[in-house]
Amino acid sequence: MRLTSIAPTTTVSPATKPRRLRVALAGNPNCGKTSLFNALTGARQHVANYPGVTVEKRTGTFEIDGEPTDVVDLPGTYGLSAFSPEERVAEEELASGPDVVVVVADSMQLQRNLVLLAQVLIAGANPVLCLNMADEARAAGQKLDLPMMEKLLGIPVVETVASRGQGLPELLAAVRRAAAAPLARHRVVLGEQLDGALAAIAARLPPGPRSGLSREWNALRLLLDDAAVVARLRALPTGEEAITEARRQRMRLETEAGRPVSVFVAERTFGFVDGFLRETRTPPPRIDTRVLSDRLDDVIAHRYLGLPIFGAVLYAIFWLTFTVGEAPMGWIETGIGWLGALVTGFWPHGSDSLLRSLLVDGVIAGVGGVLIFLPNILLLFLGLALLEDSGYMARAAFLTDRVMHRFGLHGKSFLPMMTGFGCSVPGILATRTLENERDRLTTMLVLPLMSCGARLPIWMLLVPAFFPPAWRAPALWIIYAAGVALALLLALLLRRTLLRGEDAPFVMELPPYRMPTLRSVLLKMLDRARLYLSKAGTVILGISILLWAATSSPKPSSYRIDSRVAAGEAVAAADLAAARTAEELEFSVAGRAGRFLEPAFAPLGYDWKMVTAMIGAFAAKEVFVAQMGIVYSIADPEEGTEGLRARIARDYPPLVGVSLILFLLISAPCMATIAVTRRESGRWRWALLQLFGLTGIAWLVSFVVYQVGRLFT
Amino acid sequence: MILTSSTAPSLMSEPLEDYLETIYLLVQEHGFARVKDIAKARDVKAATVSIALRKLDEARLVNYVRREYIGLTTKGEEAARRILTRHRLLTRFFEEVLGMPAHAAGEQACAMEHVLTDEAMDRMVRFFEFLGTCPSVLKAFGQCPVGARPGDEHSCGAYSPECARCSLNPKESSMSIASMKPGQSAIVTQITATGALRQRLLDMGILPETAIDVERSGPGGHPLWIRCQGARLALRRAEASNILVRRPA
Repeated sequence: MRLTSIAPTTTVSPATKPRRLRVALAGNPNCGKTSLFNALTGARQHVANYPGVTVEKRTGTFEIDGEPTDVVDLPGTYGLSAFSPEERVAEEELASGPDVVVVVADSMQLQRNLVLLAQVLIAGANPVLCLNMADEARAAGQKLDLPMMEKLLGIPVVETVASRGQGLPELLAAVRRAAAAPLARHRVVLGEQLDGALAAIAARLPPGPRSGLSREWNALRLLLDDAAVVARLRALPTGEEAITEARRQRMRLETEAGRPVSVFVAERTFGFVDGFLRETRTPPPRIDTRVLSDRLDDVIAHRYLGLPIFGAVLYAIFWLTFTVGEAPMGWIETGIGWLGALVTGFWPHGSDSLLRSLLVDGVIAGVGGVLIFLPNILLLFLGLALLEDSGYMARAAFLTDRVMHRFGLHGKSFLPMMTGFGCSVPGILATRTLENERDRLTTMLVLPLMSCGARLPIWMLLVPAFFPPAWRAPALWIIYAAGVALALLLALLLRRTLLRGEDAPFVMELPPYRMPTLRSVLLKMLDRARLYLSKAGTVILGISILLWAATSSPKPSSYRIDSRVAAGEAVAAADLAAARTAEELEFSVAGRAGRFLEPAFAPLGYDWKMVTAMIGAFAAKEVFVAQMGIVYSIADPEEGTEGLRARIARDYPPLVGVSLILFLLISAPCMATIAVTRRESGRWRWALLQLFGLTGIAWLVSFVVYQVGRLFT
Repeated sequence: MILTSSTAPSLMSEPLEDYLETIYLLVQEHGFARVKDIAKARDVKAATVSIALRKLDEARLVNYVRREYIGLTTKGEEAARRILTRHRLLTRFFEEVLGMPAHAAGEQACAMEHVLTDEAMDRMVRFFEFLGTCPSVLKAFGQCPVGARPGDEHSCGAYSPECARCSLNPKESSMSIASMKPGQSAIVTQITATGALRQRLLDMGILPETAIDVERSGPGGHPLWIRCQGARLALRRAEASNILVRRPA
């Protein structure tokens, strides 16, 4: 290996007044970069999305000798080739000129991990090499000559075990050293032919764009015919010259090397890493020995055993989420109820204060609606974090990809969709494990079709009302199956239309199994919970207040039931109150909207009562039952389920029931789902598409079923 | 400036030849060319065009019909037609024979039309004539994974038995890893993927002359679980069929 020494061309200028240091973490997926980020920042971190893409942007701060330092965790990438959103984001962050780039490498996978270091070096950044998981490598018998590495690369090199916080002081010292006085960094030598070609192109590059990246890097991107770089150069007066030169060099190299230039460049980069490792690594760990991980995979990723095992793992997670989560959900519900009662107590008994109603029925009920999912979300993400950190998630994707791919989805879509049976909100949050944007959006958009837990009370009300006992279990099964089938078909449709495009390459690395650390798992779990509460929570609260207003105002000035009582009709006190509530709902904005929308739903067989109940169900699906109770003036819908069921069965034919069930299964997911979709996709566009798209499909399906059904009855 | 029509490429600089080409096309279309039309067509300033025109005038390739209406001299027309013929021929070659997209083919042609010698052009014409009499060669090239275009099905019907690089060759020596079974090993010979997939495979260390072991497969045979340079990777059938390998005999 040869390295040429060059004068440091650093972006740190000592003349400028001291400002906060900016550090970027770069590394391959599964190299422990996020663990390192967590170990560095602890709770002082912030997770958001990069604008316009579903790539997470994690920023935070930590201190070096008491000085605050900003750190950004770049998305895990294998290279900087700008083919995926992750790689584009990583390259742009590098171009923004961080003071130091910590390249995190898995010590067990140096050969591939150091390719990224080579690219970062070529790009002209100021890197520190952090050899993570040093304990595993040592245990496997790998010895690394760190001083030699520093000498050959001209950058600080440190070893860490990020999951246990080992080596952090050394890393901080190295960052400080790199930031204060960059060592004489060395240029990555890619061989005479390639270096010559790059120099020739670089010489013709006009100054200006992407100045945060070295000329050599821009020349390399141009040589590889990066469409974005070509387009940017076209816009410059002398850019065409560099493009022509790159074309000429590309042709020359391809003729000389007898292979595509991309292959040639990759070979030379790997060659550089190989040479470097030959001089600094002894003895290389024997990669052909079958380690414990492989023996585990013989069972866990087995052709036939793999799926049943995955089924059991899924069951365990759902049990954790929905059974263990039930108790705290109950506590929260009780707490909210108690708080509501407490606030109600501030007003004299029977008072009709608007403020009381706003606080109790709007704000407290709204906040409750947000908080009620929190135990589920915490537990589910505990389970998901365990699966991810242990390396099992990649195996699950491996096992389910074949089926999911048929429908344009990804192996990693499976778990979020299964979670959707419990609740769409954590399911949509779980799509974060999908790297590709199209896969993620598709999964997110169809996920509400998985019949969630909140819809179960609706089925409990409607199925016995419309089906004879022998048919109830099959009917319930058909409802769930129909949801799954529609979700898969819709995914296929989306991938053929709106989210059309080549499949993202499914070249997935399967990391070795690792013992998850408590710290990392807890951080991941709390991270999601915080995100849910702060971002989705505010939207949900806003919508619940709106819905509260719609269902409670305006109030009628007189009640029909009162005039009937005045006329001498005998009505029990409870029935009187219920009848008044029913009239209030009928008179409210929601009731009027129900009446107004009735003609639109008449072809589906619904009357205004059902439509009004559906408007309420937008707040939360299970509200449908309560709303139906109100419009039928049944004092306590919980106790009166039997009575309500009888009324519904009497008022509507079974065909309307089928149509209604289908509509409720497919139509507008609840507002929490919409809010989370908005939050996770980064755009209202997708959330609204989900809302109106699903409702439109629901209308169509119910319409066809009702109208065709009428021909036969 | 001298224009030669012998075997050597033109001594005129590339930009000047491009101007000549532009003027020729404009004259064909409108009967004349104006400075501003040329500037617009070539996306440069009028002043730049004037400098080029002065040089062309010195070489007696253009003449001024009226103040700003420019025509070509006989010599100029000859030179322009010569370049245009090369341009069209090269475009056809890149597009029809090599299967490049029309836009990219045109770009390639633009870059090469200036350096193509008369001899090279003559050979290329003969090659086109040969293809006319033997179209199956072109078909076989288009369908062979080595020459395939993105999106093509690899169904080489016209391979030659001697063609060792063709993955569908009955000889065991070359195939894609999609047809390998768990427990088998092979050496990568070629990656036929393009774009993001190619880059991803290269980034993962799947390079020519590296060893690949197929360790297991998913339920129903796919995805494939391979090991390459110490890493375990999962690939779908579609991706795997882009990695050509040779198996040790």
